[in-house]
Amino acid sequence: MSLGVDDGRFVSLVGPSGSGKSSLLRAVIGLQKPLSGTIETDLARSQIGILFQDDALLPWKTARDNVALGLTFNGMESSKALGEADAWLERLGLAGLGERFPRHLSGGQRKRVALAQVLAMKPKLILMDEPFASLDAIVRARVVRDVVALVEREGISVLLVTHDLEEALSLSDEVNLLSRGPRAHITQHYQVTIPRPRDPVHSRTHPTFAPLYERLWADLSREVDQAVEGA
Amino acid sequence: MMVLDPRHAWIRRLVTFTLLLAIWEAAGRANLLNPMYAPSPSRIGGALVELFSDGRIWPHLQATFTAALSGLALGIVVGVLLGVVAALVPLIEELLEPLMTLLNAIPRVILAPLFVIWLGIGLASKVALSLILVAVLMFFTVYTGIRQVDRRLVERIVTLGGDRWSLVRHVYLPSVAAWVLGNLKIAVGFAFTGTCVGEFVAATHGLGYLLSFAQSTYNAALMFALIFLILVVVLLIFALAGRLERHLLRWN
Repeated sequence: MSLGVDDGRFVSLVGPSGSGKSSLLRAVIGLQKPLSGTIETDLARSQIGILFQDDALLPWKTARDNVALGLTFNGMESSKALGEADAWLERLGLAGLGERFPRHLSGGQRKRVALAQVLAMKPKLILMDEPFASLDAIVRARVVRDVVALVEREGISVLLVTHDLEEALSLSDEVNLLSRGPRAHITQHYQVTIPRPRDPVHSRTHPTFAPLYERLWADLSREVDQAVEGA
Repeated sequence: MMVLDPRHAWIRRLVTFTLLLAIWEAAGRANLLNPMYAPSPSRIGGALVELFSDGRIWPHLQATFTAALSGLALGIVVGVLLGVVAALVPLIEELLEPLMTLLNAIPRVILAPLFVIWLGIGLASKVALSLILVAVLMFFTVYTGIRQVDRRLVERIVTLGGDRWSLVRHVYLPSVAAWVLGNLKIAVGFAFTGTCVGEFVAATHGLGYLLSFAQSTYNAALMFALIFLILVVVLLIFALAGRLERHLLRWN
């Protein structure tokens, strides 16, 4: 299979469970070796960030220490890194919560800290592995809205893995449908032409949204049906 | 059913405890209890005051404290080191794990007579017994802990660009510290158990030695006084350990 993410594009990958979506992201960031094939990028390792399904914040470090962590790994002086961390926490609506430990933050706030941690590294590309799945609907809508706004403003490319079709369509410029594994491959590309800047909630009411959703849903259902019959 | 206000639990406990003491005292004075077996609280208090007033108790307290705290400190160091090495080096794990499992399975205080033969009746045999009680506990705490370190945290550090040293500093060390602190109270109890049993077996000083002296002279009042004293000492150290734990694990 072949999948590319151009500068500033929001690309998503949807497909049935077990199609290897997460493994693909892990291979891109270097957490596991691809079984075959190559991953080409003109980005340095530190220019790629990843957001996991769970926040994976260090429980013994405060929010600002967690955010500053990546910066210090890349050689920034710690007082400067903490200043950067505070700025990013404020940008994500967490002003004044920097001294809290993750345990004393809500799920939505922790997700925002994890985002600040990634964004502080000034990435050119962010890989997202179903990062919003664990949030409840209202918190999720608000976090997603802020993520889209920040990503659009900073011109960051995104590769999002999800099995939520609505989420994929409302956020992306391009959606790729992955077939069921093993030997998963991309079966369809869909271009999403809803204009930017976008509000993810309102982009669902755009006239092109519903027909595209119907197509994507029909294709995905066929994919799952074939897999069930093949089994 | 009557609903009890949990905030006032300590008052109810104190009242009940005082009442029981009063009944005990009254029964003693009415000659309903044989002072040979159950001396009244005032006699026990008297024995306690006597221990302190003639200054006789201090060298014994010092001996017990020195042995228990040295055993605790050395036991933590030895247990943590062995646990870390076993978790990281497969050969050491293969050799050490069965031995530790065996030591964990037996009541380790049975080694007390052996330590007396090897190390004499002085301080060293008590430190050794406390050490082995604490070290085995700490070994398993750290050994199983390191094997169960949260993979997600490790991956987070790696993807943020952290190297091996960052992993040790930000993930492994804090995890180990948390497990050790979480077991600190149990370790304190183990350290005092080891020392007191060691002193009971053969010694010239210590609270355990005084206990065995009280036993051989059928001095029940002294025995109760000593048990009470050991209780207070351990509770005091528990409180200190608890404060340390709350401060260092305040993120939890």
